[in-house]
Amino acid sequence: QSLEDCPLDEDEDAFQALGEEDEDIDQFNDDTFGAGAVDDDWQEAHERLAELEDKAGASREPDGPVGNDGDVLGDPEDALAERLTRLVIDSELEDPAIMQAVHTRGPMQQPGGLNSSIWDSSAMLQRIRGPLLTQEMPSVSVLDYALPQRPPQARDEERDPSERALPRRSSSPIIGSPPVRAVPIGTPPKQAAIPNFNQQILCPKPVHIRATMQQRYPAPYGERMSPNQLCNVPNSSLLGHPFSHSVSPVLTHLQRAQLLGGAQVKPLPAGRMSPSQFARVSGLVGSPLPSVNPKLLQGRVGQMMSPAGGFRAFFGAPPAPPPSQLPHPPGPGSHLQNLRSVPSLSRHPACSPRPSVTVPALPRPQPQMFRPDTTHLHPQHRRLLHQRQQQNRNQHRSLNGSGGDRGGHRSSHQEQIRKDPYANLMLQREKDWVSKIQMMQLQSTDPYLDDYYYQNYFQKLEKLAAAEEVHGDGPKKERTKLITPQVAKLEHTYKPVQFEGSLGKLTVSSVNNPRKMIDAVVTSRSEDDETKEKQVRDKRRQTLVTIEKTYSLLLDVEDYERRYLLSLEGERPALMGERKQKICDMYDNLRGKAPGQDRPSDDHFMQIMCIRKGKRLVARILPFLAPEQAADVLMATARNLPFLIKKDAQDEVLPCLLRPFSHVLYHLPLGTVTSLVQQLTNLPQSAAAPTNLHLTAVLQNKFGLSLLYLVLSRGEELQSSDTNTELMQDNQWTELMLMATRELLRIPQGALAKPVSIPSNLISLFSRYVDQQKLNLLETKL
Amino acid sequence: MNYMPGTASLIQDIDKKHLVLLRDGRTLIGYLRSIDQFANLVLHQTVERIHVGKKYGDIPRGIFVVRGENVVLLGEIDLEKESDTPLQQVSIEEILEEQRVEQQAKQESEKLKVQALKERGLSVPRGDTLDEY
Repeated sequence: QSLEDCPLDEDEDAFQALGEEDEDIDQFNDDTFGAGAVDDDWQEAHERLAELEDKAGASREPDGPVGNDGDVLGDPEDALAERLTRLVIDSELEDPAIMQAVHTRGPMQQPGGLNSSIWDSSAMLQRIRGPLLTQEMPSVSVLDYALPQRPPQARDEERDPSERALPRRSSSPIIGSPPVRAVPIGTPPKQAAIPNFNQQILCPKPVHIRATMQQRYPAPYGERMSPNQLCNVPNSSLLGHPFSHSVSPVLTHLQRAQLLGGAQVKPLPAGRMSPSQFARVSGLVGSPLPSVNPKLLQGRVGQMMSPAGGFRAFFGAPPAPPPSQLPHPPGPGSHLQNLRSVPSLSRHPACSPRPSVTVPALPRPQPQMFRPDTTHLHPQHRRLLHQRQQQNRNQHRSLNGSGGDRGGHRSSHQEQIRKDPYANLMLQREKDWVSKIQMMQLQSTDPYLDDYYYQNYFQKLEKLAAAEEVHGDGPKKERTKLITPQVAKLEHTYKPVQFEGSLGKLTVSSVNNPRKMIDAVVTSRSEDDETKEKQVRDKRRQTLVTIEKTYSLLLDVEDYERRYLLSLEGERPALMGERKQKICDMYDNLRGKAPGQDRPSDDHFMQIMCIRKGKRLVARILPFLAPEQAADVLMATARNLPFLIKKDAQDEVLPCLLRPFSHVLYHLPLGTVTSLVQQLTNLPQSAAAPTNLHLTAVLQNKFGLSLLYLVLSRGEELQSSDTNTELMQDNQWTELMLMATRELLRIPQGALAKPVSIPSNLISLFSRYVDQQKLNLLETKL
Repeated sequence: MNYMPGTASLIQDIDKKHLVLLRDGRTLIGYLRSIDQFANLVLHQTVERIHVGKKYGDIPRGIFVVRGENVVLLGEIDLEKESDTPLQQVSIEEILEEQRVEQQAKQESEKLKVQALKERGLSVPRGDTLDEY
């Protein structure tokens, strides 16, 4: 019967939701692994992409490749997106970190806004075009999507459906990787033998180098022999000099490949070519191929060998084999010799005299042939740089005939190393993408909070630079600064996404809205069953809480100065008011807010002062307090000094209070000073008492003694500054002084603590009240 | 012209030869071809270099994709200064042998140490999750 009572009805809904989820999962699977994922004819897709790349490179159309990419996946995506969004009922998903369905047209038209995916593809990419040096860039690009001003409704209408739905699997690459291509990079070709493989294998660098690579490296992991095995195999690539073999095996390989149309060659080389390489290669497919002959290949390979000097340097000095094996000594410079031996081979007119790996015979297609170490430059700058370099090169070539060879060796040596055939595997677009992410990570609403040390460091640097500028009269050194956009602090109220017909809330958690795992409720215990110990403990805990709260207030107050400088004129009074209020709050916290009471007890304050952090807190707060309040604190301290001293025995933190106390003392009027001394010495006490325990304790403690000296010194200051003050007539003061001196005399030298500092006017002070003999004694004691 | 001045970014390092030290103690040398925001690396023409004493040996490995969290440090190799090392390159066989010998010696000394500690009543916790190598 209990089974029947089971709330099946509620479960139905859950099952339904699950069922729908299952459908989605199937769709996801299909897209990732099944027919939807990979285009059957990846070759054509690649060619298409390559053309697109060229077009995009030429025209810089914002909607270019990514838009088309989106189209390929667009339609099945939209269907699912629609289905999903029909289920979603909550319309306010403001979390940028939550994945958004790809809706490529949307972001194009309306860039920014809170709902745009943070990994939004080309809309953002196009805008962030290189280093953010100018002020304008950030304001255009990244701040846009952080602005809260756009009314949510307008955005909702436009991009309502797909925005709040979870993206499909096939589009997840948007989140964590470069823009999706029609075919994932590295997809092995479906067929081994491909019609136009013939051409491709003869495309310049990739295949050629592959051939040499295979000669030298064991390629895929499975086929690889263990290094030990390889060492035993004769002629293995691990032994000996990579180039000790003559050129012929390579040629044979290539020739074979050429002749057999690539059928026998492993599909790896071509499969490993990334679309980005295709992009560059496709333009060159047609050209030098018909004229291929062994001699050309030989020449080519000979040429290939020299840029492979780049690989050479990579290997450093090769191991054991005796140099006699080789026609020339091995080493990083050897490719230079290679170079020298090569010209004999390469007499083919189609080969350029410079061993260029990339395009032997074609005129350079303009954008592609940039040097890899200039990839970080702004495109325009790079173009200019290359134009200039080309000019120089032309000049050199015309100027030095044969001499240019030798001189040119140096530069060509470097150029070879730089003309890395595998350079720019990472496209500029991808680099921009990564740097975009990095820039986004740098955004902060409160840079001083997030990266205090960086801010300080840069301030210091700037100060240095400014100082240098003032001194030096040289040209202003242009120092590029990273300008990180400052995002306005937004208050996100997270409402969890709810699907129609499902029970409860969907756990769509993200970086900004972590999932609430536990519903923790605070329960307060009843007073009855608390023992004394617990009470004490709780009281201490309460004090600790008070200290923490006051500390937060203190940090805020200390921060106000900086905020004041950064704020606008109109806001400043408000800031000051806030600050004042906080200071009052702090003081109340310190002394224990007791409305209606006259603050008779120092209890609260004492509790705080018993804790080490509390003492430090008081020391930091004192500068902010009004004089009366500060005096009040000082009094309370003095009044209870022996108790504090006892409690401080372990921590020994009291001396930290000395400096703020002395500051306070400077502003104290006479009457206060007097009463202060009174507190310190704890008079009036029955004069009959032989010892003044209070004072003794004070004298025997470093802090106490130092404080006493400070107070006395202040008194002396006051006294000496105003010759006819009431101090002279003040009996109390005289009495106190006599008391103090008496005590000082009485106390043995050893028991006297070592004060932090002895003010200089103490002697003169004492001289008023004691005779010479005692004065001498006092002097020895001090 | 710095790509992102004041920051540490690997974008400048692309297509340059690097030495990468991994958390398991391996040293890889290769051309850095690609990166991502997690500092996952794609190394090209990678060579694993094993150092034992003053000798080292290179094992060519091909293309490596390293997950960013496993990288301890990496640094660009100056191609001109690269061969300027007092270390002696030996064959792979030899270096592997040397490594094995070194490992054995280390293990033995570790065993002795643990034994000695045990005798004194102390125990060292097994640092399985630590990056000790």
